[in-house]
Amino acid sequence: TVMACRVVSKRKHMGLQQLSSFAETGRTFLGPVKSSKFIQGEECHESVLISSAVRLLENLDLTNAVGQLLNEAVQAQNNTYRTGTNTLLFLVGAWSRAAEECLHLGVPISLVVSVMSEGLNSCLEEVVSLQVPVRNVFDLIDNTKTFSGLETFNTSLFPFLQIPSGAGLRQKERDLKDVTSQSLAVSSLSGRPVKSPELFRPQAKVETDKNTSQTSQALKNSLLANTRCRKSVLTHSRHFCSTDNNQWISKPDGFLEQHGATTPKTYECNELVELEVGLSHGDHNSMKLVDEAVRLQCKSAGVQHGNCSRPFLLDMSRIFTCCLPGLHETFSCVCPGYITVVSITSTTLIKELQHQSIRVILIEGDLTENYRHLGFNKSTNIKTVSESTKFQQESPEELWISHVLQVLIKFNVNLVLAQGNVSERLIEKCTQTKQLVIGSVNSNVMQAFAEASGAVPVAYVTQVNENCVGSGVYVTFWRNVPFDAAVQIQRIAIMLKTEGMNLVTVVLTSPVTAQMQGKEDRFWTCAYRLHCALKEQKVFLGGGAVEFLCLSHLQILAEQSLHKGNQGCSGWLRNTSSWLASSLALYRPTVLKCLANGWHRYLSTILCNTASYSSEFEASTFIQHHLQNAVDSGSPLSYILNECSKQNSGIFNSGISDKLEGIPRVYDIVTPKIEAWRRALDLVLLVLQTDSEIITGLGHTQINSQEPEGFLFL
Amino acid sequence: MSRLEAKRASLCKSEPLTSERVKATLSVLKGVVTSCYGPAGRLKLLHNGRGGSVRTTSQSAALLASLPVTQPVSKILTTSVQNHVSCFSDCGLFTAILCCNLVENIQRAGLTTTTAITLNKHLLSLCTEYLKSEICACRLPVDFGSARPLLCLARSLLTSKPACLLTREEVEHVAALILRAFLLSVPENAQDRITLGKSVIVPLRGQRVTDSTVLPGMLIEIPEVQLMRILPIKKSDSFKVALFCASLSGDLSETGEGTVVLSYGVSLENAVLDQLLHLGRQLVSDHVDLVICQKVIHPSLKQFLRTHGVIAVDRVGVALMEPLSKMTGTQPIGSLKSVSPSSYGSVKDLCTAKFGFKHFLHLIPNEATVCSLLLCNRNDTAWDELKLTCQTALHALQLTIKEPYVLLGGGCTETHLAAYIRHKTRDEPESILRGDGYTQTELRLISEAFCSALESLAGSLEHDGGEILTDRKYGHFWSVQADSASAVNWPDLLLRCGCGLYSSQEELGWSFLKGTHHPFVPQTCLPREASESASDLTLDCFTAKLSGLQVAVETANLILDLSYVIEDRN
Repeated sequence: TVMACRVVSKRKHMGLQQLSSFAETGRTFLGPVKSSKFIQGEECHESVLISSAVRLLENLDLTNAVGQLLNEAVQAQNNTYRTGTNTLLFLVGAWSRAAEECLHLGVPISLVVSVMSEGLNSCLEEVVSLQVPVRNVFDLIDNTKTFSGLETFNTSLFPFLQIPSGAGLRQKERDLKDVTSQSLAVSSLSGRPVKSPELFRPQAKVETDKNTSQTSQALKNSLLANTRCRKSVLTHSRHFCSTDNNQWISKPDGFLEQHGATTPKTYECNELVELEVGLSHGDHNSMKLVDEAVRLQCKSAGVQHGNCSRPFLLDMSRIFTCCLPGLHETFSCVCPGYITVVSITSTTLIKELQHQSIRVILIEGDLTENYRHLGFNKSTNIKTVSESTKFQQESPEELWISHVLQVLIKFNVNLVLAQGNVSERLIEKCTQTKQLVIGSVNSNVMQAFAEASGAVPVAYVTQVNENCVGSGVYVTFWRNVPFDAAVQIQRIAIMLKTEGMNLVTVVLTSPVTAQMQGKEDRFWTCAYRLHCALKEQKVFLGGGAVEFLCLSHLQILAEQSLHKGNQGCSGWLRNTSSWLASSLALYRPTVLKCLANGWHRYLSTILCNTASYSSEFEASTFIQHHLQNAVDSGSPLSYILNECSKQNSGIFNSGISDKLEGIPRVYDIVTPKIEAWRRALDLVLLVLQTDSEIITGLGHTQINSQEPEGFLFL
Repeated sequence: MSRLEAKRASLCKSEPLTSERVKATLSVLKGVVTSCYGPAGRLKLLHNGRGGSVRTTSQSAALLASLPVTQPVSKILTTSVQNHVSCFSDCGLFTAILCCNLVENIQRAGLTTTTAITLNKHLLSLCTEYLKSEICACRLPVDFGSARPLLCLARSLLTSKPACLLTREEVEHVAALILRAFLLSVPENAQDRITLGKSVIVPLRGQRVTDSTVLPGMLIEIPEVQLMRILPIKKSDSFKVALFCASLSGDLSETGEGTVVLSYGVSLENAVLDQLLHLGRQLVSDHVDLVICQKVIHPSLKQFLRTHGVIAVDRVGVALMEPLSKMTGTQPIGSLKSVSPSSYGSVKDLCTAKFGFKHFLHLIPNEATVCSLLLCNRNDTAWDELKLTCQTALHALQLTIKEPYVLLGGGCTETHLAAYIRHKTRDEPESILRGDGYTQTELRLISEAFCSALESLAGSLEHDGGEILTDRKYGHFWSVQADSASAVNWPDLLLRCGCGLYSSQEELGWSFLKGTHHPFVPQTCLPREASESASDLTLDCFTAKLSGLQVAVETANLILDLSYVIEDRN
């Protein structure tokens, strides 16, 4: 083997360029209105419709080392949080361009690293002010106010992007036709539709705009909501030091609080529906399913524990998705229990088993004759011979099957759930003897059945004893599927239920198979967002507010360091005694501005993706305008909130604000979001500091034929 | 029919160091290691170009392990550095760069090989004697009563590995954890012989660095489903433990070659299972509470043990076996036949813990010298780098117990040492030459080569185009912006020296490291209060650096001494 060494960074940093070009492919996934991509495999002609960074990178051939690092970062974010990957991908692109810009301006690499990570840290401290506590959302849970009731509410509040005294309303109505459907509406300062934050509308362009007339109502709603936003706002804040109306205070935990005349009123989100709508980011269909799942789980938890006294958390391991491609969208629903598909040949069996309590065993591995547990090495050199010929009529599999059947009959078992594959022959035989065998069962489902039915999972049928058998399971057909649809796919959907089982199945249907994966992904995204918000008991005020705060905060930092020089510098160099420490002040404004440009691009891309602006330039100008205002005000946070209140008081009288209760805000989840930022910057800085690529195991000739230049050999 | 081929003659090259190819390869190697050096070092992206795993690193251990060097001269170098790293963990790049510099400089000096080698050895012993002596001014004694020097050492190590991607807060957090893990591995009742315990690093990728933590005892990862089945764990003062290194999976691994013929109706699998269940009955009757197996336990045996209230954990892996055996006092059992009761050990308590998405069984020992460092980092490559760094830091702390000293880091030791050698060769050449018959001119030439090798090693810390200065009082390392040549007021431009001990406010008198040298006598004997006043020092591991220095000089001598390379081409 020969080792080759390629110098990555010369004048142009190849790694950063690769990063930004990869990230560019995911630009359209950012924000609420995503454009899907259609990926087609050249070999097998399979195609898939994707609209997320994870799926994009999964489907790309990334043999390139930098691409691989990017993929790793996106996968790591996805595995840990299941959300935030589109943001991560975009910021990787934006910040690698920012880093390149710094290099062009002659900033030493070590300083770029130091100032950028310092800048992001400072942003992270700043955005704590926009956290809203989530408390006791299950206290008021009642069935009268459900998610579907609020569906028609507009969910777009970009806290500072407001419509000035009635301007441009008509124009807004016209523009909205392009991007919105009945459940969402958008508003902006200039009267143009602004991002309806993070709302997912892949089908937006397909759907006809049924109710443009509703938009003005929705618009009103959004503005009204701002009044409420102002109403419940606080008094003393360190962020308000420059303004007169010190209403906000930031509590030690970072949450905003209002100091009213009598008792302090906390600014918080304490209604489940409000939280859900805020976190749906426009994907009402998915969030509606999540809402139903939560309610079912909460109900069963309430039944089990008497009441919901301890804080209820969404138990993700007890939610299961069952995808039924080919069925119309309206069949999507949430049901308690386990729903799965079995072969249509089991129809008669299920009819017979219906309406009776049956006994179940759970098999951890495959249910085949030659299956052995993990770690068991089969000896290949063992041969069985028989002294007489009379035993040899039956094959080992037949023997095994008859043994399994004996066990099932002995313990009076009518249902077998196996985590792995099941022998086709066994299923056939069992169907004859009225035993239903289902393979490929998810491990969480197995666990749920184990807990509810009392069954103990075993690896082999031989292990089964009376203690391993569970009971009280009911099987039935899943009601919704019309028979002809079932015949078409040769499978039928059935439902398994046990008393006290907290498993919830979300049935997802789509007539277009290529959309199935995306639909499932979107459901989980919403579910994990809610899960995270409930777990962390806090959310961010969403709709770009945090990103705008970061942008303006960095802008202010940059200007401050320009004037103040090295004073108040919190920059940290790994090597504190280096000359770079004294040059920090010189380069700081430049680097901070480049970092801020990343946020700027982020916001303007969202505006562009929502089609509110025809060009990135236009969107950019719009943001620039607000940025200038925010920076001039001296406190971006107060600017955002003051801007709200100023405009609202100009337009609305007190009469309307009474109707405000229940109009949702937009929320973002906290940790996954800031982790995505951090991961994005980490990756950019990692690549920025990389000066050469070392390729092991390639021959001279191979490299020479690919790229003749820039290689050194060892 | 076999074909016979005549053996090819071996290839013999004389004076390998004069070959252009060898020179070129050495200079590529030097470029790679030099560019990685220090806190501002550049990273290398290691991959196989075919979609294999990608690693970003600046550490010699990771770098040299994946550099398949074929050129014999370079191979000598990388092998000795790797040997050094396997014994001392730290200072691998230091050794590699110094060795490259020495070979280059001494070749340029144009002396005969024997002269160069002998004088090199003299200079090396001058260095080591000085570093080990009480008058040494770049060495601090470590008082274990205070955590500060140890914390500084851990912190310096962490900051010198940029690919760990840590922020300042994270460095502080991990440095504190390393120190805690180290202290937990030191036995409380120290007699004349101390046996250090072990710190096991438990991976938790994908989480935030600040979620990392240290726990006494050991964590064994187990799947959630399995965890559910062992709950609730009964209360007890002590749990009896059996530890198996043999597989309990019930397979017939040793049937040997050939075919085993069985009669119909005989099942070997069942026979082995019976044996396993017999073993299970013995464990139950011996009142074992916890069975841990390195490999797999047969599901039926697991079921049997569970129904008798014995917790069974399998697939713990070979890495955990030694610390487990040490902590519980068990003899790992390698046979299924019979188990001697003397092989059992015990733990004080058992509980479960969840970190990130992982579930663990937490074994709490009676006497804690084994601890677990649960290490988190956001992505895989950064985690690998952080793990290696933590291992290095733990090792450095252990070495510090043996020789309770630390060296000043940040390039100061190197520049000070160079100044000291210059002063000695100029003022007391006879004490170095020891009447070996070499002239003072020869000594001065070699000493110049040696010192500039040390100085350019220190200079390798700079990667952003700055210049290096040295002061004429202590001979420490100072860095300054490139275009500030011959500035009038140095104290305004400089902050602190590389290790952080001295401030520029003291009147020191500076000169460029690369320029002409005005010999001076560097101040020896570090005042005790000097080390105590400075809060944030950059420190290096004494033992590792001293060994690195020796390995570098000896390897350079070996390379210089090569007169033939004989290559077997068959």
